[in-house]
Amino acid sequence: MTTIAVAGGQRKRRAAGNGDAALALLLVAPILVTMVALVFFPLAQTVWDSLHRINPMQPGSPFIGLANYVNMLSDADLGTAWINTFIYVAIAVAAETFFGVLVAALLNHVVIGRKWLLAAVVLPWALPGVVNAVIWMWIYQPGAGLLNGILTAFGLPFENHVWFNDRTSAIVAVAIVHIWRMMPLTVVIVLAAMQSIPTHLYEAAHIDGATRLQMFFRITLPLIRGAIAIAMTNGTVAAFNLFDEAWVLAGASLDTRPMLVQIYLETFQNLHFSYGMALSLVVTVVALLVSLVYVIRIHHDTRFD
Amino acid sequence: MRTGPGFRIVIWLGVAAVLLWSLGPIYWTLASAITPSADFAARPIHFFPQNFTLNHFERLLGINVDRIGGVEVWKQFRVALINSIVTALASTVACVAMSAFGGYAFTRLRFPGRRWMFFAVVATLAIPGYAVLIPLYRLMIGLHMVDTVTGITLIYVSAFLPLSLWLMRNVFESLPLSLEEAAQLDGASRLGIFFRIVLPLVGPGLTAAAILTFLGAWGQYVVPLIFSPTATKPLTVLIPEFATKNFIDYGLITASGSIAIVIPALVVIFLNRYLVSGLLAGSVK
Repeated sequence: MTTIAVAGGQRKRRAAGNGDAALALLLVAPILVTMVALVFFPLAQTVWDSLHRINPMQPGSPFIGLANYVNMLSDADLGTAWINTFIYVAIAVAAETFFGVLVAALLNHVVIGRKWLLAAVVLPWALPGVVNAVIWMWIYQPGAGLLNGILTAFGLPFENHVWFNDRTSAIVAVAIVHIWRMMPLTVVIVLAAMQSIPTHLYEAAHIDGATRLQMFFRITLPLIRGAIAIAMTNGTVAAFNLFDEAWVLAGASLDTRPMLVQIYLETFQNLHFSYGMALSLVVTVVALLVSLVYVIRIHHDTRFD
Repeated sequence: MRTGPGFRIVIWLGVAAVLLWSLGPIYWTLASAITPSADFAARPIHFFPQNFTLNHFERLLGINVDRIGGVEVWKQFRVALINSIVTALASTVACVAMSAFGGYAFTRLRFPGRRWMFFAVVATLAIPGYAVLIPLYRLMIGLHMVDTVTGITLIYVSAFLPLSLWLMRNVFESLPLSLEEAAQLDGASRLGIFFRIVLPLVGPGLTAAAILTFLGAWGQYVVPLIFSPTATKPLTVLIPEFATKNFIDYGLITASGSIAIVIPALVVIFLNRYLVSGLLAGSVK
């Protein structure tokens, strides 16, 4: 609200002979009002409230300083949720980057029907995360599921195997669903970078007798580093935000519980509102810091080129 | 460049693997949606449906009446489908209109504070939704907007506006100024220029922004889980509810999942070019 008032005050000084500013403020006002009311104000309130005790079950909302943040250090379930989240981030980003670059390289070599192949690759990304999760819940189903069906058809002893009884396999199962949804983004970003590489570089390398592998590692890879860093940043933030897949496949189970499910449970089941807010701020900051690492690395590396 | 037969085989195997990975789970969902529930008990399982039924779709669409917890399935489903369509369309229209006007103002019009205002709005892309969710919940309760179409649409708009504003500004910046300057010399007004000259040129950009917003709203789960518990419950919240503690109706789940897939699949098949361009522009923020 103050944004508009301040801008409006400045406008008067320059308004003479120029209707642009008035028109601009009219056009921009809906955006500013929405963002201030539904993002900036709630965000400020999240920061402020995280320093208070807010719980609908307890009267008042006394100022408690950093107590919410200090309590995180002795919260055992929270520790598990952090570990799970970091495992998801590590598995997802590694798999999305490795296979994403591989699939992008493949698409870059396909000429006929590339458009349709790309559409098939992008499709999982376009589906609602919940629908992806129920699709895979049915695939992982112990009795009639596709996964056990395929493994059994190969003669492996996986009849009625329950994938969610074991923490490792449960986490991997959730991560696979997330990778299925998010890998297309990596492919799209990396493929665009590959297509912008001038072909004469490859022709020159070909004349010099370079093999395909050499071309990939000496020409392609160095030129798509920036795109890979962008894709990894996106993948990291998405993996920190993992919720739908874990919640639909395994509910509140501590084995697979990521940070967002932990926040959801603390807030809307235990009604620890301000603790939930403190947690969501910490996750936001950690996700941004981790993504910053790639950006800085790439920036650092490219300076020497 | 010359391609040997060995290399071509590797490419074809790769293509097959990619298609299996991307489309296999979707095939399995569609196949299960037309399989009678009784066939799910067959061991070993059949990879191709042995019998055909529309029973699951009939139960969803009200041709066949089925109840879960006393409530008729198709009534729930119809409401959820309408809710999903209405909220996704409403937020797409609002979001694209706001970002088209705003994006134009931020690129072409000079006004005090435009740089930092634009930066502040786009910077919120880095803030995940859950960081504002709890105060938003209390705000919406105060405004009596929990479980209303207006409430959920407002939240979607605030969530997808930064990305679509960013896309639209990139589009406007890539347009040559000369056209607009010529029109200005001819005495056209700012809004006249915007509607008659600029807007017809940014169709692809508008399409990309609309697709990203629509798919984003169509697929939302956490937000409606909290803000749309009953009357405005969308498909994404309803579908997992077919999996109750005692009994999971995989026929209903796969059939309703198939219906929820239709719109995204049509977008990917017919508008993939715009979707990809939007994804690219959005990822390089």
